Order: sequence, then C-alpha cells, then structure tokens
Amino acid sequence: MAEQQDINDLPQASVARPKGLRISVVWIIPILAAVVAIGIAIQRVSSEGPTISIVFKAAAGIEAGKTFIKYKDVTIGQVATVELTNDYSQVLVTAKMAKHAAGLIVEDAKFWVVQPTVTLSGVTGLGTLLSGQYIGFQAGKSTVRGRNYTALDVPPVITDQPGRRFKLTAQTLGSLGAGAPIYYRSVPVGEVAAYSLAADGKSIEATVFIDAPYDKYVTSETRFWNASGIDVSVGANGVNIRTESIVSVLVGGIGFDVPDFAPPGESAAVDAVFSLYQSRAEAMTLPITVERRFVLYFSESLRGLSVGAPVTLFGLPVGRVAEVGLGYDAMTHDLRPRVLVTFNPERLASRVSEKDRPSATKALVEASEAARVPILRHLVEDRGLRARLQTGSLLTGELYVAFEYVPKAPKAKVDWKRDPLELPVDSGGLASIEAKLDNILTKIDNMPLESIGVGIKNAIVSLNQTLKQTDALLGRIDAEWVPEGTKTMQSLHQAIADADRSLLNQDAPAAQDLHNTLQELTGAARAVRVFVDYLQRHPEMLIRGKKEDHP
Amino acid sequence: MKGPTLTAARAGLVSCEACHLLSRPAGAGEPGFCGRCGEKLENRRRGSIATTWALLISAAICYIPANMLPVLDTTTPQGTEGDTILGGVAFLYTSGSWPLAILVLIASVMIPLGKLISLAYLLISVQRGSVKGGRERTRLYRLVVIIGRWSMLDVFVDTFTVALVQLQPLMSVAPGQGVLFFAAVVVLTMLAAESFDPRLIWDSVDPGEPVHG
Repeated sequence: MAEQQDINDLPQASVARPKGLRISVVWIIPILAAVVAIGIAIQRVSSEGPTISIVFKAAAGIEAGKTFIKYKDVTIGQVATVELTNDYSQVLVTAKMAKHAAGLIVEDAKFWVVQPTVTLSGVTGLGTLLSGQYIGFQAGKSTVRGRNYTALDVPPVITDQPGRRFKLTAQTLGSLGAGAPIYYRSVPVGEVAAYSLAADGKSIEATVFIDAPYDKYVTSETRFWNASGIDVSVGANGVNIRTESIVSVLVGGIGFDVPDFAPPGESAAVDAVFSLYQSRAEAMTLPITVERRFVLYFSESLRGLSVGAPVTLFGLPVGRVAEVGLGYDAMTHDLRPRVLVTFNPERLASRVSEKDRPSATKALVEASEAARVPILRHLVEDRGLRARLQTGSLLTGELYVAFEYVPKAPKAKVDWKRDPLELPVDSGGLASIEAKLDNILTKIDNMPLESIGVGIKNAIVSLNQTLKQTDALLGRIDAEWVPEGTKTMQSLHQAIADADRSLLNQDAPAAQDLHNTLQELTGAARAVRVFVDYLQRHPEMLIRGKKEDHP
Repeated sequence: MKGPTLTAARAGLVSCEACHLLSRPAGAGEPGFCGRCGEKLENRRRGSIATTWALLISAAICYIPANMLPVLDTTTPQGTEGDTILGGVAFLYTSGSWPLAILVLIASVMIPLGKLISLAYLLISVQRGSVKGGRERTRLYRLVVIIGRWSMLDVFVDTFTVALVQLQPLMSVAPGQGVLFFAAVVVLTMLAAESFDPRLIWDSVDPGEPVHG
C-alpha cells in the first residue's frame, strides 16, 4: 500500500528543528528527586558519630539496638552489636555515638551499666525499671580521642555535680557504706562516695561528697563524726536519745559541724583530709594539744583500774589513765602499784569561769614547766591535793583516779625535778573505808566475849533474885493497901454525888439563878430582834427618831 | 479480520478522551478541541513516553530512601527507635505472624516495585515497537492503574498510627522521613501510569499509518 502512494504524499522536511526533540520539562522531577535523595544520604553519613567499643564483664541487660548510652540523661549513643570477646571471657559491645557527642569521646571517658539500686538510703536508677538498663557515661578531661574502653564495675564518683569532695580517715568503717548520707545539723547534704583501705591497711579512707551550697559549711575547723545508730545517754536529766535521722540508724551516716570552741575557720579545699571521730561527743571535745604526765604510786590494789579510765579533778574529767603497772625500786627491791596518768590542762582551763579563763589558760597551759611547779607546789603542799582511787561503778567495781583536797593529809615529800612528776596519793576513798572496817572487825574480834558471857550469866541470876523479891513485895501491897484504897474510892464517889446534886438540882439555888439569868437573856434577845425588824422597815428612824404609833 | 484494523487515527479521525466522541481533527497537526465537551483533542498524548520515563525514574529514586529511612519513629523512655518498612516485615516475621509479614511485604515493598518494573517494561516494549502480547500488556497497564490508588494505604495507616499512639510520656510515635518518600513513590507511579498512553501499545501491534505522538 505504501508503494502505491504518490511521492507528493511524502512528508515535507521542515527547516526548523522539530519541537519533540527538545528535552521535556518533566525531567526536572527525577533530577529533583535525585538531589533530595542524595542530600539525605549525605546528611545521614555526615551525622554519623564515631563508633567505639566497650568491654564489659557481662552483658547485663545490654541489647543491640535497644540499649543507649546516656550522659546527663541525654542519649549520646546506641549499642550496635553485643558479642563475646575472642577469648570468650568478656563481652565486647560496639556502640555508635551521636555526632554531637563526638567531642566527649576522649581517652579517659568512663562507661558503666546503670542499674536500679534500692538501698535503705534511697533508690537510684529508678528510670531504668521502665526503660531498661542503659550505659552511663562520664566525660574525661583528656583531649585525645578514644576508641576502645573497658567498662567500670561500679559507677564513678560524681564529679560534675556542684559540690566538693573531701577525704575522711577513720580507724574502722563501722556501719558506713557507699551512699551513706552525710548530715549537717540533721539536714542531709551529701553522701559517702567511696571508701578504700589505706595503703598500709591500718585505716580507712572514705571519700565524701558534699553538695553545693552546703559544702561551704565545711571549714578547716570542721569535725566529722560517725552518726550511725542511736546515741543514748542517761544523765541526771533523764534519758537523752540522739540520732541524725532514722535512715542513719539503719544504714549509718556521718555528721559534721564546727565545735563551739573553735573559730569558724576558712573554707576547706577540695580533697582536704579530715579525721572521722567515733561519736559526736568525741568530735565536739577540745583537741588535746597539751598533755602532762604524772606518776602515782598507790599502796592499795589496782584491781578495777584500767587504761583509759578517767582522771578527775574535783569530779571534773581532766585526763586519762595511761598506764597501770608496777614500779620497782632497784635500791630497796620495793614493788609498788604504779599508775601513769595524763592530764590535759586545756580541759581544766576550759572549765574556769569566762572572766578568769585567759589568765588560767596562761598559767596552766601556756606556761613553761618551771613556771607551773609553784602552782602545783602550792596545791599539793598548802591545800593538800592528793590522788585517790575511787569507785566509778559499784556494780562493775571500775575504779578511777580522783584528785581532791585532803586537808588533814600528812605532809608529802615531792621531788619537783623528776619527770614525770610523782604526785602524792591518799589512801582515802574506798581503800580507807575498807581499812576502817577492817579495824572495827579486828576490834570486835579482840573482844573478851567469853568472860562477857559469864558476867552476863551472873547478872541474869541476880536479876532473877531481884525479880522474886519484887514479886513478894507486890503481894504485900495487894494484901495491905488495896482495902484502904477501896474505902478512899467510896468516899470520893460520895463527894462527887454530892456535888452533882447541889449543882444540877432545879431546886438548888445555884441552878435557880442560872435559870433566871437565861430567861432574862432570852427577853433581851427578843427586844433586839423587834428593834432590828423595825429598823429594817423604817431606816429613817435613825435620823428622825421613832414615829408615834398611829392607831 | 484481514489487514490493519481500522482505527480512528488511521481513518484520520480523533477520539475525545473525555466523552469518546469521534470527530474530525481541526487541522493536520492540531486536532483542536472536542465539539461536544470541549476537551483538548489529541491523537496520542504529547510526550507520553518521555514524561512517563521521567516520572518513573523519579519514583525509582524515591523508592530507595522510602525503604532505607524509617517510616515510624517510636519514642519510649528507652529512647527513640526508627522502624523501616523492611524492619517491620522482619519484626512481624520473627514474632511469628508470617501471614501479616507477607501481606506487608507484598503491599508495601513488592507492589511499588512491581509497578515500577511494569511501567518500565511497558515503556521499553512500546519504544522497541514490540508486536507481541498487546492484550497482556494492556491488561498489565490496567492493573497498574487500578492498584495505584490503593498504594496510599501505607501512608494512611502511618498517619493514623501517629495520630493515635501519643501516650506521653510512655510512648509516642512520629512519622519518619521514609514515609514522605514512600508517598512520593506512590504519587509518582500513579502520575507515570496516567501519563502513559496505552494506545501506543497497539500502534506497533497494528502497524499502519504513523501517528503523531
């Protein structure tokens, strides 16, 4: 059919370029789509942060794609894979960190698993109950980028929280533990962050963290004490129970304060070291800086006197017993009970009234050895200051050393140049009572009880005779005196009857008089009543006089 | 019937695409407008193949991020997690509901891909002047058009989920970037199917007078 067509029917070539070959506007759409897709791809790739690996002991709750790494509760990464290390002993976790957190991923950054922890002192990580465990993160100070990390077993000490860390040294940890609260005037202001044994193993070093703004109350003069449990003291005022909080009773705690006697002090530096006292009372006592030692040679038994027993002066505690032992004199081969006591003049000075305290402190504490001797000399030689053993407790038989004035004490010889100084003792106190009792018993023992017994027997015999004679005498009295007595009684009775008759008989003149008198008195009383009645009705009568009776 | 089928184009006539009125074209190059309904008359849609290709390529480009990027961002206290379509399929499959997994896989992954491939095949076969399987190819085209309008279901479900699952602070759901690309794929393939002129299939099956494309 095409062959039959006329040549004129062939299409005419055109001069202009046909429209159809022009690139259609519609191709903008795929170009646009490609640009957007590539743009998103570039954005995705560029927003990818570093990938790190963390070695854990166990993958406790860590899941690939589900566990996040959080810093200050902001997600900064996500666990990508969880697998075992090559030796199958640990867990290797790779995590993709967010781009914005890339600067945090430095060499000394720390990772650990945050788990919910419920202790008596509080609940932490409660959010993980809902969200599952996450990996905690703590930024480091280094600037070198890190890639491989080993996770911590326990969360590190908080360092980015406002506040300050301090170190406490103690003999024993007691019932304290990490997380134990710290109280300032019973307000919880911080917690025990960590504790460790000292290098020599002889003490405990605890790191405590005090939150701002309370950290400013920790000064160079601050004392820390173990506030665990309940402090019960029984005194003349009754029972005094003191505790920082019920929590500290259960989990222990630390209290701190500045003692009253101490100056406020300067704010303590970070990581300053304090010692941890065992109790508030101990922490709040004056520090013992000056200590004098004296030797006492007693003559009685030291049973019940132990090292650490108090030494009192007029009943006030001023020192402690440092040694209890024996003294041996090589010259005389004499063994004597020897007690070494320490004496804290500062405590003594602190008891002196405020007005005299400066001078007392000067004389007792600051003065040199030579300057103090005259004071002691005066006290010992003129006033008779003597050491005595006293019973502290009748139940346990605990003894303590008491210094008291014994005015009648025999003069004592004191060698004022010896060190430590030997002070005179007085066997007063319990020992002297014992001696006196002993004396009495000896005297009783020495009494001639047998001859006394014979004498008493003789006396009883003669007493018996006397009694018999008395009996005979009484018999005679009965026989001779009693009939007379009866007559006398009869006439007495007669006399009384007479008197009765003469006084109380109506016809008796005396009784008649009495009767008349009473009648007169009754009349007078009636007249007075009439008058008073009238007066009540006519009070004007007192002024105007009685009105004439109107008929 | 012997010889080429008589078509409107071959008879020098043009059919209105809107009201199907057969009319004589106004001029040789310009068929003009339908005398009855006023629709612009065309022998064959202008630039049909080029437009369809452009839209198809755009859809293919968008198909990649639609499957790579999350369509749903789920925020729980644990953190924010993005779910892609294939991730959802994998989750459904591992959690035991494999029929649902297959359904989602077919509806959301394979059908868009099938539409892309079908349209590409139709375009290539028309451009190569393929003479075989005209009926099958037309049926394929119809299928692509019919399915097209249902493909938005994914986007619909996604929108519903986002609107309903707002259990702050326990859980909240936000649309991911992927859903935008998915919607783009659906819209672009629908437009591509629309711009493809199925009459082109038959032009090579029944070779006759060349038509003005």
